[in-house]
Amino acid sequence: MSLLIKKISLYAILVICTIIMMFPIGYAFLISFLSGAELLQGKWWPTTWSIKNYVIAFEKVPLGRYLWNSFVVSFIVMVGQLVVSSLAAFAFVFLRFPGRDLLFFLTILTMLIPWEATVIPNYLTVQSFGWTNNYLGLTIPFFASAFGIFLLRQHFKTIPFELYESAQVSGMKHFRFFWYVVLPLSKTSLATLGVYSFLTTWNMYLWPLLVTNDESVRTVQIGLKQMQTQEMATEWGVVMAAVMIIILPTLILIFIGQKQLQKGLMQGAIK
Amino acid sequence: MKKWISTLLIASTLVGCNSGSDETVSKTNDQKDEEQQVQKTEVVFWHAMSGDLEKALNEIVADFNASQSTIEVKPVFQGTYEEALTKFNAVAGTKDSPTLMQTFEIGTKYMIESGKIEPVQKFIDEEGYDVSQWEKNIVNYYTVNGTIYSMPFNSSTPVLIYNKDAFKEAGLDPEKPPMTYSELKAAAKQLTKDGKYGFSILNYGWFFEQMLAVQGGLYVNEENGRKGEATEVAFNGKEGLRVFELIYDMYNEGTFYNVGQNWDDMRAAFQSGKMAMYLDSSAGVRTIVDSAPFQVGVSYLPIPDDVERQGVIIGGASLWLMKDVDEEKKKAAWEFMKYVTTPEVQAKWHVNTGYFAVNPSAYDLPIVKEQWEKYPQLMVTVNQLKETKATPATQGALISIFPQARQKIVSAMESLYQGVEPKEALERAANEINRELEMAKKR
Amino acid sequence: MPHTVKRVIEGGMYILPSLLLFSIFVFYPMIRTLYLSMHMTDFQGNPTTYVGFEHFVYLFEDRNFKESMKATFLFVIYTVPPTVIISLCLALLANEKLRGIQLFRTFFSSTLGMSVAASSVIWMFMYNPAVGVINKILIALGGEERQWLLNPDTALAAVAAATVWMNIGFAFLILLGGLQNIDSTLYESAEIIGMSRLYQLWRITLPLLSPTLFFVITVSLIHAFQTFGQIDILTKGGPMNTTTVLVYSIYREAFVNYNFGFASAQAIVLFFIVLIVTIVQFTFAERKVHYQ
Repeated sequence: MSLLIKKISLYAILVICTIIMMFPIGYAFLISFLSGAELLQGKWWPTTWSIKNYVIAFEKVPLGRYLWNSFVVSFIVMVGQLVVSSLAAFAFVFLRFPGRDLLFFLTILTMLIPWEATVIPNYLTVQSFGWTNNYLGLTIPFFASAFGIFLLRQHFKTIPFELYESAQVSGMKHFRFFWYVVLPLSKTSLATLGVYSFLTTWNMYLWPLLVTNDESVRTVQIGLKQMQTQEMATEWGVVMAAVMIIILPTLILIFIGQKQLQKGLMQGAIK
Repeated sequence: MKKWISTLLIASTLVGCNSGSDETVSKTNDQKDEEQQVQKTEVVFWHAMSGDLEKALNEIVADFNASQSTIEVKPVFQGTYEEALTKFNAVAGTKDSPTLMQTFEIGTKYMIESGKIEPVQKFIDEEGYDVSQWEKNIVNYYTVNGTIYSMPFNSSTPVLIYNKDAFKEAGLDPEKPPMTYSELKAAAKQLTKDGKYGFSILNYGWFFEQMLAVQGGLYVNEENGRKGEATEVAFNGKEGLRVFELIYDMYNEGTFYNVGQNWDDMRAAFQSGKMAMYLDSSAGVRTIVDSAPFQVGVSYLPIPDDVERQGVIIGGASLWLMKDVDEEKKKAAWEFMKYVTTPEVQAKWHVNTGYFAVNPSAYDLPIVKEQWEKYPQLMVTVNQLKETKATPATQGALISIFPQARQKIVSAMESLYQGVEPKEALERAANEINRELEMAKKR
Repeated sequence: MPHTVKRVIEGGMYILPSLLLFSIFVFYPMIRTLYLSMHMTDFQGNPTTYVGFEHFVYLFEDRNFKESMKATFLFVIYTVPPTVIISLCLALLANEKLRGIQLFRTFFSSTLGMSVAASSVIWMFMYNPAVGVINKILIALGGEERQWLLNPDTALAAVAAATVWMNIGFAFLILLGGLQNIDSTLYESAEIIGMSRLYQLWRITLPLLSPTLFFVITVSLIHAFQTFGQIDILTKGGPMNTTTVLVYSIYREAFVNYNFGFASAQAIVLFFIVLIVTIVQFTFAERKVHYQ
């Protein structure tokens, strides 16, 4: 009996937490169906569920093109970060060489540098490479990620060092060990990093705005900004519709990614 | 050894893939460019118009492109004015540079000093183009030392907007909006009740500048920086103090509602009936009239009692030509500018956006007449501009540190709501801006 | 000796891609920033005259800078502990073996998918004094209407609340991953010897979770110091500079005022603050962290 009560109360807490966490998203969803006049009169439940705002959002800015660009850019950065970060993290955990700790310190240091302070020099660099207005400029600067290296290092450290030693004894080359032992054991963290890098890239605003010159490679966050005006009234219903369109792919990714993570976790648990 | 090689291989294939796919992308772009160059001169036009404004702008550009066969204008949104300027800094003089760029009024001095722009005066002189057809007050703002540097494009002024229904309810005459500070205070008192307020001003430096200019007050010395390099602020005189005292007094009487810094919050508050009067940009008038669930009135900016009305400063933005682009492109851009200032285009622009027509003969066209019949409020905004006297005060200040100055003024306005005395708030802002002016001289 | 050289080369090969990219896109601009911080710059950001430490000296006299230091530290305090504690509680809850728990896990991590721009737009609407839902609920509960983002007393806390919400998804996901990685046989043995759940949490869960917890705290701290987007959209640093955190101040100096020298000086100060905080955290915390 007490088990049942415990279960019910657990579910109750879970549901309450869910309502609180999901409330802003649900609210935005409702707003996205309201007309401008309804909104300003303070209504929040739509009288008609018309998708007019969504249609207008697509008409106003080339959201379809932007979505595709965001997807391509985020995907490339995700792959790049996984490769570059896992290599570095592997070296930081399993290889011993002089200067290793200094290099790790330098890597962590990069996390501390405020991005706003580096934007202008970086922009000039990318421009001198001729990478403006194409996918190169949008992706390559983000391949190296201190966050990714740090995350993977934390996980690689939980892999028993004896595994590495016995591999050494049996004459296994480092890269084989990295490829066949370390990476499979780290599926969870790799998946987490993959999802994370995809999402952060998806959500960038200032950099894509700077390095792109037209809509052929522009990303979706710029579209959101493009819908808001200063001197004239912004149509909030339309903006909220754009918000829903923009967050939908990432929310779907989380729905799928969450399950993938779970699978990875089960495999990772077998040591 | 092998493992590095394979690592390298992975890395290089990755990079290879990217650059490979990218080359094809840029190649097709190049091809397109080449094809266009054979037939048309491409004019890249950077702007900061978003939302409905972008839509209206794109229509004008599309019409222009369809009207002739030698020039192709390509409008590109570059974020806010600030973001566009940041990017302009980095690309001016390079292959990424646009031909034409839109910049806000407070960037005027900044653009002139950048040395990267070509004054439109050059083309005006070459062609003997008749500038007198442009609105004189608008030209006035963008004329510096007798030279017109940029082409006025989207211009707006501040107006008082009020809720006519609320006026009736409070026993006020909805056709007689307050014109002076004491009338404003009295009306606001009558309108304030049940959690509803009488009046509001957005915490935005532009409104302070306007309320100063309408009294003939200067913002900085050297005739608002028009005669020489401004060295000190001048807004902390009696005119500026009157504005701060008005806000301070009304806030303490409980008739003034603080709406913050966000234009949309301000309009939402007005439309939901939170306050009955407020100051807005003339460009916002039409949407307010359309979406408010009550009768909306528009009037002139209120002035202190016993002060002669001087008029308003032109706000908004203008179009700038880049210096380091091909002569052919500049000429093409000039053609576009001329097209934009024709009465027909200006009429359309005015009707669709609420910005002023640079070319006043646009107001005589039927589409404007029709619009004015539907929205008589728009006429008020035009008249206020027409009645403006051309003085250094209404010409507007010319300083390069305008963005900082506005931030300091906003902070000072905000401090009034926290009980800081108007004199003290004004002096603090003045001191801080004076320091910025001094620092700017050192650059 | 040749053995060491070989090791350095081998280690270097793995690290080279990161190092190369960091050098170009992080270290070089940082050195440039340091250089600019000792110069006056023209409006294009080119250094004009050398001024030494003048910018720094002025910074420490400037009351605006003091205000933004205060805002920065308060913001960190308002966001990091709540984010970590709430996420940990949610992760512990979602780690229970229940039917349908997967769905709750997805819900709790959903804010990870929300961009700062999109989230801020939503929160701006919720905070709107006239039409926003927060005041509506408050009034329905008999409270008074408030201008959350316009009152200097509540603005920073309001931005912080929105930030905590945005950050929970990420912290939750990482902490849940950490919890899942704990060997379940440990709990089974604990049950056998009759350890209470609370004691298990204290003796097994938290120590074994400590590397993950350490990671989450470090990253949250750094993120908090570098918050920008929500401030730009929600308050623009106002009212009365109460929400002008350092990064926002840097952004404003560089991108709105074109005062790159002064902005660079602030960036250097911010860098050292975050550096000190991180060093302190590493030296004190990493000792306590257990690696399996």
